[in-house]
This record gives sequence, structure tokens and C-alpha cells, in this order.
Amino acid sequence: MSAALQSAFAAGIEALSRDDPAAAVPLLEQALASGEGGAYAALNLGMALTALARFNAAEPHLRAALLALPELPEPGIRLGVIAATRGDAAAARACYETVLRRHPQHVPALAGLAALAEQAGQLAQASALVARARLVEPDEPELDAVAARLALAGNSAAGAVLLAEAVLHRRPAHVAAAQLLARALLRDLSPPEALARLAAHAAAAPLSPAWALAQGYAHVELDQLAPAIAAFQLADALEPENPDILGEFGRLLAQQDRPEEALPALLPALAARPANLDYRNLASTLMWRRHRYAEMVALLQEGIAEFGPHPTLNLNLALVLNAQGRQQEALAAAEASVAHAPGNIPALVNRIAVLPYHETQGTAAKLAAAAAEIAAALPATPPLPAVARAPKPRLKLGLLSGGFGIHPVGWLTLAGLEALPEDRFEVTAYSLKPRRDALNARFRARAARWREVTDPDDAALAQQIRADEIDILIDMGGYGDTGRPFVLTHRPAALQLKWVGSQFSTTGLPGVDFMLTDRWETPAGFEPLYSERLLRLPDGYICYLPPSYAPPVSALPALRNGHVTFGCFNNLAKLTPAVLRLWARLLREMPSARLVIRTHALSDPGTRALTRDRFAAAGLPLDRMELHGGCPHTEMLAGYTAIDVALDPFPYTGGLTVCEALYMGVPVVTLTGDSFASRHALSHLSNVGLPDWVATDAEGYLARAHQAAADLPALAALRAGLRQRVSASPLCDAPRFGANLAAALEAAWAAA
Amino acid sequence: MSGQVAGTEQVISERLMAKARLLLEGRRPAEALPLLERLHHLDHVPAPAREARAIALLAMGRFGDAADAAGEALACLPGSAALLQLRGRARLAMGHDIEALDDAAAAVMADSGSNDAKGLMAEALMKLGKADEAIFLAWRVAEALPQDMHAQLRLAQAFIMAGRHAAADELLAALEARAPQLALPIALRAQNKLLMHDAAEAERMTRAALDRGMVEVSLHSVLAHALVAQQRLHEAGAHFRAASRLAPHDAYLAHLADASAGGTPERATDAYVSAVFDGYAGRFEAELLGMGYRVPGLIRLAVDRWLAEAGQATIPGPVLDLGCGTGLVGVALLGLTGAGLCGVDLSRNMIAQTLAKGIYTELHQAEFSAALAAIQTRYALVAAADLFCYFGDLEDALLAAAARLADAGLMMFSVELSAEPGGWQLGESGRYRHSLAYVTSALQQSGLTALSIAPETLRQNGGEPVEGLFVIARRQVC
Repeated sequence: MSAALQSAFAAGIEALSRDDPAAAVPLLEQALASGEGGAYAALNLGMALTALARFNAAEPHLRAALLALPELPEPGIRLGVIAATRGDAAAARACYETVLRRHPQHVPALAGLAALAEQAGQLAQASALVARARLVEPDEPELDAVAARLALAGNSAAGAVLLAEAVLHRRPAHVAAAQLLARALLRDLSPPEALARLAAHAAAAPLSPAWALAQGYAHVELDQLAPAIAAFQLADALEPENPDILGEFGRLLAQQDRPEEALPALLPALAARPANLDYRNLASTLMWRRHRYAEMVALLQEGIAEFGPHPTLNLNLALVLNAQGRQQEALAAAEASVAHAPGNIPALVNRIAVLPYHETQGTAAKLAAAAAEIAAALPATPPLPAVARAPKPRLKLGLLSGGFGIHPVGWLTLAGLEALPEDRFEVTAYSLKPRRDALNARFRARAARWREVTDPDDAALAQQIRADEIDILIDMGGYGDTGRPFVLTHRPAALQLKWVGSQFSTTGLPGVDFMLTDRWETPAGFEPLYSERLLRLPDGYICYLPPSYAPPVSALPALRNGHVTFGCFNNLAKLTPAVLRLWARLLREMPSARLVIRTHALSDPGTRALTRDRFAAAGLPLDRMELHGGCPHTEMLAGYTAIDVALDPFPYTGGLTVCEALYMGVPVVTLTGDSFASRHALSHLSNVGLPDWVATDAEGYLARAHQAAADLPALAALRAGLRQRVSASPLCDAPRFGANLAAALEAAWAAA
Repeated sequence: MSGQVAGTEQVISERLMAKARLLLEGRRPAEALPLLERLHHLDHVPAPAREARAIALLAMGRFGDAADAAGEALACLPGSAALLQLRGRARLAMGHDIEALDDAAAAVMADSGSNDAKGLMAEALMKLGKADEAIFLAWRVAEALPQDMHAQLRLAQAFIMAGRHAAADELLAALEARAPQLALPIALRAQNKLLMHDAAEAERMTRAALDRGMVEVSLHSVLAHALVAQQRLHEAGAHFRAASRLAPHDAYLAHLADASAGGTPERATDAYVSAVFDGYAGRFEAELLGMGYRVPGLIRLAVDRWLAEAGQATIPGPVLDLGCGTGLVGVALLGLTGAGLCGVDLSRNMIAQTLAKGIYTELHQAEFSAALAAIQTRYALVAAADLFCYFGDLEDALLAAAARLADAGLMMFSVELSAEPGGWQLGESGRYRHSLAYVTSALQQSGLTALSIAPETLRQNGGEPVEGLFVIARRQVC
């Protein structure tokens, strides 16, 4: 045994003792490989890996230590913790009980069993176990904290207050005790009294984080997010770099839509608490918001590998894979979630959210079947008492969406809603996501009532809508990430419709009476594909509001470039392998042509590298392509000055993107299918009088692109007049749209 | 050991202070405040924490607390220009204009180079109606900080207030060209156009901004007022509603929006005009009007009815406005006084402000009875809005006023109503109140026939309505 190897074991133990398991792992692995430290090397390596939440790696070492060192409690305790974290209560209990048989006074084993009993709702048993442990270690604050929790669960709020306060006096940064104290105080006292008690503590010990934490949690309990965040700011300043405080702080910041601050708080919290699935999921959704897709995939895959196929991890993975353009893998992940938890609503919603992007599965029939599965899985919801549809001179219209602002819902509905006659419709907006931008201000200016919805309970929201006496409720969020379509199943309004906002298929939901559509999206004969009745507007189903800051239309770039430049500014989720293969063929057939792709996901280095590989694999000539990431809207619109012809993806076609390309003078070649999502471009192109740009098969798509490139003077002439044409067309004619929408809604109201 | 504790405390204090500063810089005063409150609880409160606490409270709109916090900090650091400014700003926001001016002036004395202090002083002067002095200071600041939009806008507001509309227009046009994405210069310029009687241009400007996708309370509000000025009340309603929805806590806009939403056009018009003159011309003119002062609006309503019955578009003869003040009756009668409008007031400052409006064709700075004795013209309308609260006996005053009425002319005036059954009383406020019986008798004594004596709420005083009578009378026919 050499001195160097001896020092590896010693150094590993030393690293563990200073709470640095990451540094300990390689040293202990080295020691274990050389046999130094014997079974203790395995035990300590297992403990280090457990601390890092690398459970799969930890387990064999702990089992080896258990066999070799049966007299020691540590291997059994660690294995119990791993089992409990994985949700395997029986295995965990077995581990703890084994330890207790040899060491009847072992406090961690008693505490572990108490936690399992508490989870199983056996509070008396849990309390007895904790009492046993407290006899052994009367001064251990962790046991007081558990006792406080049990006291609160056992309806002894005053007792819980005293216990939690005692913990906080000794451990001022004890996050769980602070949360318990807040809950217990609010159970025992009125909110002002509870807050006053905490303020008194704070005045007496102004630099203790304990009372800031408890104040923060009290505000959380009272649904007061802003003061809760302020209190956690203070707690973080008083006790910096505490992972539990950072984790809670990050969670609250995320709730307040502050991803730039939330992620730097959550990532160190997750590094310190890798087994915390809430932190992991929350961090992943924040990465989603920042388009950090590759990191998000890694975070989720790591979590699934270590902690099993937890549903939320899988759902988020499906979404991010889809956003990277990996539709097959995304649908597979979504299907795995559905199979893992049959009838689970979030899993079913997740599947329908990725399904329309899939090149073969995203058909109207498959979407209708997926929607029907959601409807079938819904718990029976007793609808609110029916209200009669009496004729009214002025109808109360409720709009339900998280997109009232700079968002496709805003650009595609606002102008039409502004033109809806005020004297015939009183509008109430139920905003599902707080926004503050220029379009949001216009929505606010249009709505007689504005309600920011914070209560996540669908039934409560339905009650609010009913209390507001809404006649017609329009869902404008669907199965999108802020959507609340199940509110409609409570039947808060006498007439309920689906409109823009993840409007890619039927909703399948029993409470949705009509879908607002047009004759291109859903021509006659499409009725069987929809559970809703089809309320066709006379022109297109949306009204596009062009941004006032749109740059002018440029001359046709091909005339100065000497070659045609195709472009696609849609997101990667829409670029299926079939799309890439077709574009590869087009560029092979047109050796001088170029293709520009622009989308925010390409700002993410990992996703960009992956996408380049996908493009190359599909046969696309990267040397004739430009890949651009996200940019401000004006700049994105200006990007069209370099594009001659836009290539639409399929089966999920462009919606707002098509409108923007057209407004920028760029015609769009599209391939239509039978799902709602596959016909957006068809609707918009037809609405501006360009139905000849719509193909029904791949050959037609290629032919249309060739035809456009072959007659540049004609393309230049079309481009020169296209903005005016779009502006004058029904696509942008807000007064006409408003009148049509009003008539359609009134007709639907009058319909039996 | 105690030295160690003190050292730890100092480290934590410094950390709290540094973070609070960052939060204040990041415009999160509500998140900075708990940190500063903790520092406030320490035995030795760090001096910067006191100031930062006042800054946070001010930014949170807790003006009274901010003034107190700044005062507390001033006790430790007397004469600090920054703290004086802080307290002055808080006081200004609370409407304590004179105290605010004192603080601002002291801040300027303490730091004569501070543009912020001068700017604050200019704002306080504006609030106190001292437009010329405000211009002097606002000009100095705007000159020193040519790129500071707030300083430039302040100067423009001072110009508007002083009635120097051309100068305001020139400045605002330059600001608009410099920052076309900002709504405020456009709204202010349109407001200025409105005061220059160019409602069509005010409408064009605000509409153009809205068409460019700009959304701002002030644009909708000014546009609505511009439409009112053009008698397009129906169209104005939508913009009052939009303004009110964008500023849901603004009672003034809510009132206008409600008024404009009322039933038939005729009724909407009545409610609307009353509402407009509850605080006419919104954001920029409100201070001139006093809160909820309704008499000019009542006169306008009465004149509208009179003209409608007579089938006439404008008042059939010259108008005399007794105690014209800042010219609110003239503003109310905008567009109806084709045959001339003469104003009389004792106050030079009032006359100056009225002159600045450019509405009156003739103005006399004179005592009431002296002016009436000197004037020979006979008027189609003699108005005395909120004048007779300065008179006990009304007979002589009414007699002199009646003498200036044309044969078919009307007299319109208000009095504050006495709760006592007979005569008149001098109230605690120093204003006279008259009973209904006394007013009726005084009219008869003065050779006037009452056409209408209506109980009305004249204005709000400290949140309480001031009840009065609004009287319409004509000369008795012999």
C-alpha cells in the first residue's frame, strides 16, 4: 500500500468531511480500485454518490458495504433514503427496520420511519417514532422540526408554533421550520396577527434570516407573491448561498415571471439538492423560456436516468425534444408518459401538444382521437346550473387566454376584437398570464373588465366567469402552455367557443359548442373531425394586425443577387424530416438557390449543432444555407428583405409567420393537409387571393417553388404590390372582420 | 467576543445595504424596503440606509412615510440637498405644495448646481400657479440638460401653463422629432393645440400616434377632449372609455367614461358636459380648476338649453363674466361667444392667467361695482360663477348686474346654500351662504325674475360636497 494511495482514501474522507462529495468521489474510486480503505472505501463512496443524488452509481457500493460491514447502520440508512426518494416506501421501511433491529436507538432510522408513516397518513405512529428519537437526542432541532410538522398535521397549531420557533432560534436558516411556523401561525391567528408576531421577532433580531423566511412563507400562504419575494430577497441577503433559500426564492421568482433571476437562484439549489425534482422541473422550464434547449434536455435526461421516469420530467422532455425538431423522439417520450400513467390528463395533453407536428401521426383523425382520449379521461365535472340563452341587445363576451399581448393571439385577434361593436358586446378579459406591452395595453383599452387570473383552480375560475354573468366564453389558449381549456367543461357560460390560441385541432371537450373557423380551414365535410360545431366566418378566421414598425418591402433580392433565396422563419418543431428532405430536393434541383432559416432555437449552441447535423443528414447543402437565431421582431421582419420566396413547413404550417412574410412582400409556398394546423397557411393565402401558392402534395410544392423562381419579373411585381394587397384584403380588414365576428357570435347565440 | 459580533453585524449590514442599492437601481423598491427596514432596527442605523429607505418609500408611492423618513434622515444630516429634495418630492406628491417649495428652495440653496433641485422647485412653482418663475427655473435645467426628456417636458408644461403656447409647441415638436416613440410629447403637444383652440390638429396628432400602435392614457384622453371640443361627443366616448380602462384607478377618467356611456345623445351630452367641467381638460388643467368645480359646466348646460330653445348657434350678444378668475366660464362657453366675452376680476394674477387663455375679447382688472359702473355695454348674458359667496347682501350687486343686461338677456349665478331659513350667514370658511328665501327676495328687489333656482352641488371641499343654488334670471318686464 503506497503513501499516495493511502492519501487518496484519506483525502476522500477529508473531502466528505468538508461537505464536498463531488471532490470525494474520484478519490474514493481511486482508493476502492486499489483496495485501500477496504469496505470503508465502498461505504464512503456510496455515501458521496448518494449526496450527489447519483443513486444508480451509489447503490452497488452501499450494498457491498452492507454485506461487508453489517454492524454499521450507515449503508442501510443510505439505501433507505434512496428507496424513499424513489418513492419505494416498502423498500425504505425494510432498510430502516433492519438498522433498528441492530441499533434500536438509531435516530436517523427512527426519523426515516416516522417520515414514511407520516407520508402514509399514520400520524400517531409517526409521532410515537419521533418521540422515541427525541428521547435519544433531545437537543436535535431536526427532530423538533418533524415534531412541529406532526403537531400541525395533528391540529395542534399552537404547539407547532412553539416547536418551530424553538428550531428557528437555534437554526435561523431552517427553511422547513420557517414554513411550518408561517402555516401554524396562520392556522392559529388572523393574518395581521400572524404577520405582527413575525415582525416583532424581526425587530428583536433584525439580522436573523429566520423571520424573513417565515414572513416570506406567510405571504406565500396568503397568496401575496410580491411581498413573499421581497422577504426572500431579504432572507437571501441575510444568509447568502443557502441552497434551500435559493431554491424557494427561485421558485417564487419563476412564479412572478422573472426567469433571468430565477434560474441563477435555482441552479445552485439544484446542484446542492439534485434529487429535488421540483427544482429540476422548474429549472428546465426556465431553460425552456430562455431557449436553452440542449441544457434542458441534458437536465431532464439526467433526472430520468437517476430518479426514474417521473411524469413531469418526461412531459418536459417531450416538449423540448419537439422544440428541437425531434418530433419522433418527442412523440415517443409523450407516448411513454401516457403508457406509464394511463388516463393521466397532463400526459394526454402533452401528447396532443406534440402530435400535430409529427409528419405522419399529426392528422386530423389522430388528433381527434387524442382529443377524445382527453375528454374520456376527464373526471366527471358537474356543470354549473344551466342558464337560458335569451335574446339580448348587448352580449357579455368573455375571453380566456394567456396571449393578450405580443403573442400570436395578439397579432391575430386584437384588431378584430377592437372592431367588435362596443354597443353589442361588453368584453371581459380573463388573462392567464400577466403581460405589459403595447398590444396588451390595447387589449386592456378594449376590455370593459380585466381580470388577471391567479387561482389555478379551474372550478373557481368557472365560478368567477359565471359570477360575471358572461354569455359567451371564447377559449383562446387551448392545450398551449398557459391554456385552461378545462374551465369550459364546468360550463360557466351559456355559449362557449374555441378560437385562436393553440388552435390546431378539435378540442374534443364536451363544453366547447363551436369552433370559430372558415371555409378553408374546415370545408364542408370536415365536421366528423371536430367535436365542436363549425362556426365559419365569411372570410378568414383571423384578422392580422401588421406591426406599425414593420420595415418597408424591399426590391426582389434575386434581381440583385442573381440567385433565388428561399426562407423559413418558423420554429424548429415544424421542420420535420419530410420537410427537410423536400427542401434538400428543391436545392439539388436549383443548384444556385440558397435557403435562410431563422428561429430563436438556433441561438442555443447545442440545438444549433444538432440542427446542422439533421440538415446535413437530410441532404441539405449547408454551404448554401444561413442559420440565424432569435432577434428582435423588427429585425426578424427586416430579414424578409433578403428572402424571395418563403417555404412553409408541414404538417404544422405557418400562421402568424405566413401573415408576416406576406406583409413583408414575400409569397409563401405551402403544402396543405387535413388537420387545422396544416391549413393555417391555406386560409391566410386564400384570404389574400393567393390560393395558387397552395400545394396538396410534395410534387406540387416543388413545382410552385420552381415556377416562382422561373419568372422573376412576375415575382418582383407580386412582391411590389403585396403589402398593399394584404392590407386591403379581408386578412387585415378589421372593420369587416369585426362586423362578421359580431354577426357570427350573435347567430351562434340565437342558434338552438 | 462582542467585537466579533459587531464585526459580523457590520459585514451583514454592508451586504444588506449593497443589495438594497442594487434593488433600488433595478427599480424594485418594494424588495429593497425590507432590507432597509432591518437596518433601521439596528442600534446604529447606517446613514445611507436612512436615505435609501426614504427613496424606496417615495418610489413605492408611500409619500407620507417617505416624507417622514426623509425628515428623520435630515435630523441626522441637516441641510442635505439630496434629503431636502426627497422630502420635497414626497410633499409635492401629497399636494403639500408650499412645504415642497420650501424644501426645493432649501435644496437649491444647499446645492446651487443641482439641476434636480431646480427642477423640483420649478414643479412646485407650477403647482402653485407661478408659471413665470417656474419657466425661469425649468429653462435653466432644460438648458443644462438638453438630452433629458423629463427636463424638456417640464419646460414645455411650464410654457403651456403660462399660456406661451407657441413656445410650447415649438419645443414639443422638437421633442417629438427626437423621440418619436414616446407618447407624452405628442399628448402634451396635442393638449397644447387644444388650448390654442385647434382641436382638429389635436385630434390629428393623437389619432396619428394611436394609429402607429402607441397606447397611452394621455393620448386617448386628449383625443377625447379634442372630440368634445368639436362637439363629437359620441366619438369621444370610446376614447374616454379606453383611457379609463388603461388607468382603472383614475376616478376622473372613470367619471368621464361613465358619463359618455349614458343613454340618448341628449342625456349623454348633459352628463358629459357636466363631467368635463368637473375637472376639465384633464391632466394638465386640473390644478387650475380646483377639484370638482361644476359651476362653469352648469352655465354651459344652461346656455346650451337656452340656445336650443331659441334655435340659435351662439349667444345672441356679448357676454359678461363677473369674477372671471382664471377664465373657466370662458373655457366652458368656448365656441358660443361670437359677439364678445368680457371678463372682470380683482386679481391681477387671475387676469393674467385668463389673458393667457386668449378666449376673452376684453378683460378688466377692477373691483366689481367699479367695473360695472364703468361699463356701458348691455349683455346678452351676465355670468357670476362662485362670485356671490364673497357678498353678504346681494341686492346692490344684483341690481348693478341687472343694469347691464340686454332686454332679453339672462343672468346666471351661483350661491352657496345656507342651512338657516332666512337671510345669509358668514361661514367658517370666510364665505357667505345664502338661503333660498333670501335669494328669491333679492332677485325681486333687484328687478330680476327667476327662471330657475336649482339646488346643485357646486364643488367638493375636502371630500365634502358644497351645496348651493344655481340661478337663472332675466330682467323684469315693465
